Amino acid sequence: MDISVLLFYGLSFIVLCFALAVVVSNNPVYSAFYLAITMVSLAFVYFILQAYFIAGVQLIVYAGAVMVLFVMVLMMFDLKKEKDSFSKGRMSNFLKVSSVGWLWGLIAGAIYMSSDLLSMGATLHNKDGVGTTTKDLAKLLYTDYIFAFELLGLLLLLIAVGAVAVSRIKGGTHA
Amino acid sequence: MLNFESLAAIGLNHYLIVSAALFCIGMVGVLVRRNVLVILMSIELMLNAVNLSFVAFSHFSQNINGQVMVFFVMTIAAAEAGVGLAIAVTIFKRFKEVNISFFEQLKG
Amino acid sequence: MSNTLLFSLLFIFPLLGFLFNGIRFKSKNYKLAGIVGTAAVGASFLISVILVAKLIGLEEGARSITVHLFDWINIGDFSANASFLLDPISAVMILIITGVGSLIHLFSIGYMSHDERPSKYFSFLNLFIFNMLLLVLGDNLLVLFVGWEGVGLCSYLLIGFWFTDQQKAAAGMKAFITNRIGDAAFLIGLFLVFTNFGTIEFSSITSLLPATAESGWSGPITLACLFLFIGATGKSAQIPLYVWLPDAMAGPTPVSALIHAATMVTAGIYLIVRLSGMYMLAPDVMMLIAIIGALTAFFAATIAITQNDIKKILAYSTVSQLGYMFLAVGVGAFVPAMFHLMTHAFFKALMFLGSGSVIHAMHEEQDIRKMGGLKKYMPITHFTFLLGWLAIIGIPPLAGFFSKDEILWYTFASPAGSKVLWVIGAITAVMTAFYMTRLMALTFWGESRVSKDVHPHESPVSMTIPLIVLGVLSTIGGWIGIPHLISHYLPGHIPNVLEHWLEPVVKNIELTGPATMADEIVIMSLTMALIIGAAWTAYMFYARKSSIPSKVSKALGPLSTAVENKYFVDEFYNSKLINPLIEASKGLWLYIDVNFIDKVTYLASDFATGCGRGIKHLQNGNIQRYAMYMSVGLILILSLILMGS
Repeated sequence: MDISVLLFYGLSFIVLCFALAVVVSNNPVYSAFYLAITMVSLAFVYFILQAYFIAGVQLIVYAGAVMVLFVMVLMMFDLKKEKDSFSKGRMSNFLKVSSVGWLWGLIAGAIYMSSDLLSMGATLHNKDGVGTTTKDLAKLLYTDYIFAFELLGLLLLLIAVGAVAVSRIKGGTHA
Repeated sequence: MLNFESLAAIGLNHYLIVSAALFCIGMVGVLVRRNVLVILMSIELMLNAVNLSFVAFSHFSQNINGQVMVFFVMTIAAAEAGVGLAIAVTIFKRFKEVNISFFEQLKG
Repeated sequence: MSNTLLFSLLFIFPLLGFLFNGIRFKSKNYKLAGIVGTAAVGASFLISVILVAKLIGLEEGARSITVHLFDWINIGDFSANASFLLDPISAVMILIITGVGSLIHLFSIGYMSHDERPSKYFSFLNLFIFNMLLLVLGDNLLVLFVGWEGVGLCSYLLIGFWFTDQQKAAAGMKAFITNRIGDAAFLIGLFLVFTNFGTIEFSSITSLLPATAESGWSGPITLACLFLFIGATGKSAQIPLYVWLPDAMAGPTPVSALIHAATMVTAGIYLIVRLSGMYMLAPDVMMLIAIIGALTAFFAATIAITQNDIKKILAYSTVSQLGYMFLAVGVGAFVPAMFHLMTHAFFKALMFLGSGSVIHAMHEEQDIRKMGGLKKYMPITHFTFLLGWLAIIGIPPLAGFFSKDEILWYTFASPAGSKVLWVIGAITAVMTAFYMTRLMALTFWGESRVSKDVHPHESPVSMTIPLIVLGVLSTIGGWIGIPHLISHYLPGHIPNVLEHWLEPVVKNIELTGPATMADEIVIMSLTMALIIGAAWTAYMFYARKSSIPSKVSKALGPLSTAVENKYFVDEFYNSKLINPLIEASKGLWLYIDVNFIDKVTYLASDFATGCGRGIKHLQNGNIQRYAMYMSVGLILILSLILMGS
C-alpha cells in the first residue's frame, strides 16, 4: 500500500472522527477544540490536493480567526458541560439521524452512478502543478472575479458593523 | 516534498465520499444539537465539506476557478460566523443561556 | 348642439341634482335643495323641449333619434348598448316626466318646508327623474329594465321617506316586494323576447315582427307578452299586484303625485304601447289585459267610493284609471291609452297636489270627514281641484272627456273589445263621477267640519303655481287628441294631433265592426248623461247632508262591509299567501338550514379544525424540526431524481 494512499485515508479518518466528536461532545469548549483539529486536518487535505494557497487560508482564517472568535465567545459565556445538549424526542432524533444517513447514502449512490462522468481520476492528474499556483489564483481573482472580490470586501465591512450593532441590542421585545 | 504520483490511486470519488460524509455529520449536528454555538460549528463543518469537494473538483479537472469559489465560501463563512456569534451573544445576554429553544419564540 | 350632447345633458342634470343634494343630505336648507332640484329637472325639461322640437323638424315617417353612448354588454349573440331612442312615444313621455316633474318639484319646495331632510327628499326625487328618463328613452329592454328597477328603488325610498314611522317603512317594503314579483316576471319576459327574436332592441324587434307573424306560430310570443304584462301589473298596480299602491300613499304627497299617479305607474302602459306590435300578435294576452284592466278599474272604483282618506281615494282612483289604460291597450286602442296616460298625468297630478295643498293647510289631516267647506279658505286650490274633478269625470271640453270617451268607444267597437267590457267601463266611469264628486263635496263644499284648533289657509305661491299650470293643462290638454267624430262638427276640422303624431310608431287596431258614427254619438251621450247623473246624486248625497248613503250601505249589508275593507284582499294575501310563505320559510329555516345545512357546514369546519389540530404540530416553532422537514424533502426529491436516472 502506498504511503500517499495511507495519508489520504489517515487524514480522512481524522477529519471525520473529529467532526463527529464536534457533534457528539457535551462540552462546547471541547467541540471548538475538535473543530480546530478538523480544520487543520482539512488544510492538510487541501495541501495534498495541491491547493497550497487555500490550505494556507484555511489555516489562517478558519483554524486561526474563526476559531479564535468561537473560543472568545465561549469564554464570554463561561459554559460548563451541558445537561441536555441534544434536542428532545427520540422519534424525531432517530428520524433526523436516519434521514441524514439516508442522504449520505443517496449522495454516495449518486457519486457511484456518475463515476463514468467523473472519471477524471488519475488520468487527468496534474503532475507539474501548472496553472494551479498561487500566482494563477491571484491573477484570476484580481481580473475575472474582481467585482465579486470587491463585493466581498464590502460584505465584510457590513458584517463588521452589523455584528457590533446586533451584539449591542439590550434585552428583547418579549417580556 | 511529497511524492504526488504515489497518490494517484486515490481518485475524485474518494474525496467526494469524504466530503459527503463530512457534510452529513455537520447536518446531524445542526439537526440534533441544542446549543447555538455548536450548531454554528456544525454549519462550519458543512461549509468545509463543500469546500473540500470544490478543491477536489478543482484539482482533478485542472480548473483553478474552483479554488476561487472556495476562497469566496471561506469569506462568507467567516462573515456568517461573525453575525451568528453576535446573535448568540445577544441571546446569551437576554437569557443567560444559548439554547436553540429560545428561537422557538419565533412561532406565532 | 349634437344629439349625443343633448341626451347626455338630459340625463346629467337630474343626476347632478341628485349628487348635489345627496352629498349634503343632512342639510335642512329646503330652499337651496328645492331650487337646485327644481332647476335640474327644469333644465331637463328645456332640453326635452329642444329635442322634441328637433324631432318635429324631421320628416314625418322618419321621426326617431337614436343616440349610442357606449357599448354596454356584448356577449356572444347578445348585445345591449347604452343607447337611447327618441321617437314620438318617448317624446310624449319625456315631456310629461320632465314637465309635470318640474312642476311637482316646485310644489315640493313649499310642501317640504317643514321637513327634517329636504335635501334627501329632493335628491331622491331627482334620481327618480333620472331613472324614469332611462326607462322611457332606453332603446332596448335592458336599459328600460335598469330604469324600471331604478324607479322602483326611488319609489321605495320615497314611500318610506318618513321611515321612523313603522307603518310607512312597511308600506315602502310592501311596494318594493310587490314590485319585485312583477320584476321577476318582467325579466322572464325579457329572456323570452331574447330567445324569440335574438335581440332586445325595440327597432330590431319591430322589424322582425312581420316575419314572425307570417310563421304563424305565436306560442313563445304569447308567453313573452304574458310575462311582460305580469311585470307591468306589478309596476302599474293592476290586479293581482295592485295592493301596494294604496299603501304607497304613506309617502309625501308630491311623491304620490309624481311617482304614484303621473309617471312611474304608467311605465307598464308605456311598455305595452312600446311593444304594441308584438302584443298585436298575441290576441289571447290582449284579451287578458283588457279583462284585468276592466276588473281593476271596476273594483278599485268601488273601493274608492267607501274610503275616507283623501289620498286613499285618489290612490284607488289612480288604480282605477290605470285599469282604464290597460283596458284600452287590451282592446288595441294604443293611442287612446297614451292619450289617457297623458291627460291622467295632468289631472291626477293636479288632484294629488291639490290634496297635498289641502293636507298641508289642514296640518297633516287626511280624513275628508273632518274637512268640508274649504272652498272659502283655499280658493285657488279649490278652483284648480274643480278643474281636475271635471277632467277626471269626463266633462267636455276638459282633458279627461276625450281620452275616456275614446277608450270606451274602442272598447265597444274594436274587434278585440266586447260589450261586456264596455258595460264595466261605463259603470266605472259612472262610479268615478260619483266618488270624485263625493270627494269634492266632502272636502270643499258643504259646511265645515274642521276642528276648532285647525286654521286652514291658502298655500304659498310656489305651491299654487304648479296647481294653476296643471289646471290649465287639465283643461286644454285633451285638445290635442280630439276624436274624428267631434272634430267632424268643429269649425276647421281640427285633426287628432296625437294620433297623427304617434302614427308612424303605434297604430290602433282597425275598427272593422258594424258600429257606426251614430252608435258613437249614442254611446257618448249615454255615458255623459250617466256621469252627470252620478255626479248630481253624489252632490245631493254629500254636500247636502243626506242620510241616504248610510241607508244604502246598511241595505247592502255584508257587501258594503266587504267594499269598505277593500274586499279583504290584503287579508286574503296575508292569510293565504304571505303567512303560509312565512311558515314555510320558518320550516325551511328550522329543518333545512339549521338542522341540515348548518350541520353540514359545522361538520366541514370540524373536519378542517381537526386537520389543523393534527397538522399544527408541524408548525411548532422548533427550527431544528423545520430543518428536518427540509432535509426529508430534499431526500425525497433526490431519491426521485436518482430513481429516474
